[in-house]
Amino acid sequence: MKRRELIHWLVATAGLRALDGLAPADLLALGRDVHRGAASHAARRTLTAHAEQTLAIAAERILPATDTPGATDAGVSAFIEKMLTDWHTPAERERFLAGLRDLDVRCHARASRDFVECSEADQVAVLTALDDAHEEWFGRLKYLTVYGYCTSEVGQRALGLWPQPWRYDGCAPLDATR
Amino acid sequence: MQPADFDAIVVGSGITGGWAAKELTELGLRTLVLEAGRPITPEQDYTEHKPPWELPFRGLGDRRTVAARQPMQSHSVSFDELSHVFWTDDVDNPYSTPADRPFYWFRARQVGGKSIIWGRQVYRWSDLDFEANLRDGTAVDWPIRYADIAPWYDHVERFIGVSGQKEGLAHLPDGQFLPPMALNCVEQHVRERMAQQFGRERILTIGRVANLTQAHHGRAPCHYCGPCHRGCITRSYFSSINATLPAARATGRLTLRPFSIVRGLIYDKERNRIAGVRIVDAQTKAEREYMARVVFLCASALESARILLNSGVGNSSDQVGRNIMDHIKWGGASGEIDGWTDRREIGERPNGIYVPRFRNVSSRHPDFIRGYGFQGGADRDGWRASLHAPGIGRAFKARLNSLGPWSMTFEGFGEMLPRAENRATIHPTLVDAWGIPSLHIDCKWSDNELAIHRDMSVAAAELLEAAGAKDIRPSTRGPSTPGGTNHEMGTARMGRDGKTSVLNGWNQSWDVPNLFVTDGAAMTSSGCQNPSLTYMALTARACHYAVERLKRGDL
Repeated sequence: MKRRELIHWLVATAGLRALDGLAPADLLALGRDVHRGAASHAARRTLTAHAEQTLAIAAERILPATDTPGATDAGVSAFIEKMLTDWHTPAERERFLAGLRDLDVRCHARASRDFVECSEADQVAVLTALDDAHEEWFGRLKYLTVYGYCTSEVGQRALGLWPQPWRYDGCAPLDATR
Repeated sequence: MQPADFDAIVVGSGITGGWAAKELTELGLRTLVLEAGRPITPEQDYTEHKPPWELPFRGLGDRRTVAARQPMQSHSVSFDELSHVFWTDDVDNPYSTPADRPFYWFRARQVGGKSIIWGRQVYRWSDLDFEANLRDGTAVDWPIRYADIAPWYDHVERFIGVSGQKEGLAHLPDGQFLPPMALNCVEQHVRERMAQQFGRERILTIGRVANLTQAHHGRAPCHYCGPCHRGCITRSYFSSINATLPAARATGRLTLRPFSIVRGLIYDKERNRIAGVRIVDAQTKAEREYMARVVFLCASALESARILLNSGVGNSSDQVGRNIMDHIKWGGASGEIDGWTDRREIGERPNGIYVPRFRNVSSRHPDFIRGYGFQGGADRDGWRASLHAPGIGRAFKARLNSLGPWSMTFEGFGEMLPRAENRATIHPTLVDAWGIPSLHIDCKWSDNELAIHRDMSVAAAELLEAAGAKDIRPSTRGPSTPGGTNHEMGTARMGRDGKTSVLNGWNQSWDVPNLFVTDGAAMTSSGCQNPSLTYMALTARACHYAVERLKRGDL
């Protein structure tokens, strides 16, 4: 039975009983398919275009594209915007936005330009200073950047976490193919 | 007397309700299963294979909605952004506690109940447990011994499928095991070092878990995807939905009615029998009654107690709602193990290690009675270790790919003594969304549990020392919140005397002969093992007894 037919048959016959007759291999294949299909998430906005650009560049400096994709490729700023809009409290959101504005203040002090218009070297210097100072909001930015990257599709694939191996080996060589 | 609509009514479709449904229908009874929650369709409701990027909050959960609707349920270890749908809504299903004595009552209302989200660890009890109350003079004696339940453990294990390693321990009997899951290299090392140091007194074995390691009764072996608590489309772990309810349905004698909240039992005073059950439809709020010859309460320990108390039956002993037990957690330790830096785990094993109880087995501990087991395991940190690490840029990013050192962790699960004052009562005014009176739960640890909790961290550090671990970190957490292990039990205990217990040795009400309670409420003591296997075995045993008595006309 083809996988698509299997799903149609399953939906038509509905539920528990339909699964009873299937061989384990069919069940497994079925599981892969029925869980596919992404949820779409409405985009409410918290960031101005300028703030979004500032955030995207800062995230890219934290996790730059190298031989693997970086934060921009992973859509990290969209994830952070979602978190700011629908997850954080108003006070947390305001602290974060103030932090983004502070990047401009620091770049102006350094190079008389907004963060987005600074040289990459200046951007890195500003961010490194914040990191070295354990600035709280910067810790939050870094957390969200790493989290957003590592849970994105490009991040999961780059880290070798996706697709899942579908087996267990408790003592595999580090470079084992999954 | 009204004619019976069914031979049997089972209240609840979770781990014990599913078993009652299977056994009763297979023994020939036309059985109605009443489930308070919604139906579950695996191919729509299970979400274990959803990749993280498809979750709006990537696994961090919908914080605002959770805070508003599930502030208690969200404390459960397997509550997450996808699995939250398998827990109840705290606003619709309120309960209260004293302000200074919190209690977590984790509840699941859907076909399958908590069997969808359970931890799947299954351990037999032994006479070390069944004789415990008698031996140390606590509460009342169990009316059964290991020999009474052993064949029913066999019966249940053969059907559900349990992977595990035989160890030949008298106090943690071996069962009908499928091949064990593998220990990882560091766990194997710790097992060997513990054997050198402690011999047979403290052993480390792979967890005994109701996940299949080979095809079993038409269900596929585990494929190690990880989040079992979101469901399992391949039916590789045991749940009512995955196994017992399909078996019951196959008999043609099962009627399953979701959205059926039991308001109370209908008591026929003249015959001294339960005549049936009064329900309120969760969606329409319409009430209706179902009659049957025998009723099984399998609604979970506290919910079954609530039904009994709201019905005003079965409580001549005044023990219904009392003797709440859970398992105490959050003692333990972890430490780093050198070596194996060129090795890693591949795949997500839905299981850890188990160290069977070693306190008060062959020698007496000066500070407490009973004991605890350890669960846990060894692993290496991945990208999450970088969430708070210093640095930015190319070198920082490279870190995401590296693995930390191996770390070994032991987490204790400690026995709780039954005490009459740990008690659930009907709240005088608080009701749920259907107008049914809610519970007030008053429960706290005693000194014995707190002494067990302290000892967990000491003994776990000893095990790590024996394993050659460095940087050993005993737990700095205080005791877990009662109820937080979701092993609540004891609220309608079995016993040898109807004056001091609710149920006899067959899970049968002393007061009303056609009433059985076979969920965690029946437990006379708590052991330290994960209890679901014992609930299932008691349920199957009680079903066979009830059917025999029905056939003889005794019920």
